[in-house]
Amino acid sequence: MFLLGTFYFFASFLIFTCISVIFSKNPVNSVLFLVLAFLNSTFLFILIGAEFVGIILAIVYIGAVAILFLFVVMMLDIQITTLMFNIKRYIPLALLFAGVILAEIIYLTVFKSSKSNLSEIVRSSNNTEEIGNVLYTKYFIDFQLSGVVLLLAMIGAIVLTHVYRPSIKRQNIDKQNTTYSKDRIKLVDPKSGEGLNYNE
Amino acid sequence: MSSLTYNHFFILSLIVFIIGCFGLFLNRRNMILILMCIEIILLAANINFVSASVFLNDINGQIFSIFILTIAAAEAAIGLAILVVYFRNKGEIDVTKINQLRD
Repeated sequence: MFLLGTFYFFASFLIFTCISVIFSKNPVNSVLFLVLAFLNSTFLFILIGAEFVGIILAIVYIGAVAILFLFVVMMLDIQITTLMFNIKRYIPLALLFAGVILAEIIYLTVFKSSKSNLSEIVRSSNNTEEIGNVLYTKYFIDFQLSGVVLLLAMIGAIVLTHVYRPSIKRQNIDKQNTTYSKDRIKLVDPKSGEGLNYNE
Repeated sequence: MSSLTYNHFFILSLIVFIIGCFGLFLNRRNMILILMCIEIILLAANINFVSASVFLNDINGQIFSIFILTIAAAEAAIGLAILVVYFRNKGEIDVTKINQLRD
């Protein structure tokens, strides 16, 4: 009963935050509600015993993705008044979509509901160790490929947003490496009271 | 129903999925909100994967949810980069006015 009550609390909070993401007028509020939605799903994952994925969700989504969204929202400076909904025009399409999904839910939960071994939570002793044992052996290539995907995303984002400004002075590494110190530096020994003549 | 079953999580993930799709359908002005709705849809997929993994006692679902997380992070980075470039070129992010690929 405690599990069910906690589930209903976090699930209703999750649905409320997801709706708030869509219907907020201010994009900054949307991003903060998105953070709250991810936090709620983290609690749900920890509730059913998937601690590792829950914590990774909190770290990756809240710590990286949502903060990236927040930076972009604050950088872009959008006028809040122009962000309006065009509900009347798109409500028939949305209702059609909702009808199809509702029919699918009813079909799946009422007619196709499986009564087999889907009712018990099987708690493992160490969730992280279990994931590591499979992730680094069976899915090793996929793990490496996901790293390649992240590298490609990073390179793509840098290439897209990088602006080359010729006015900024930079070091020319090749030119620096092909010169010698004696061409650039001259040791002088100035006498006391005479100073230096820079033209020599 | 007195105990927590997979059906609870299945229906929750469907509701979250529908909310994300509704955001995609109803919102036509703000491109950032579209990216956020895609994140919500991927979150629904994650909830479904992880809960099925827990209730079936099969660890593969949680591993796939980690892969989904990776792809979602990459997608958010690329999408926001495109958004920043578009805003730099056009000065607005109104979705209804995106009708050409060149400047």
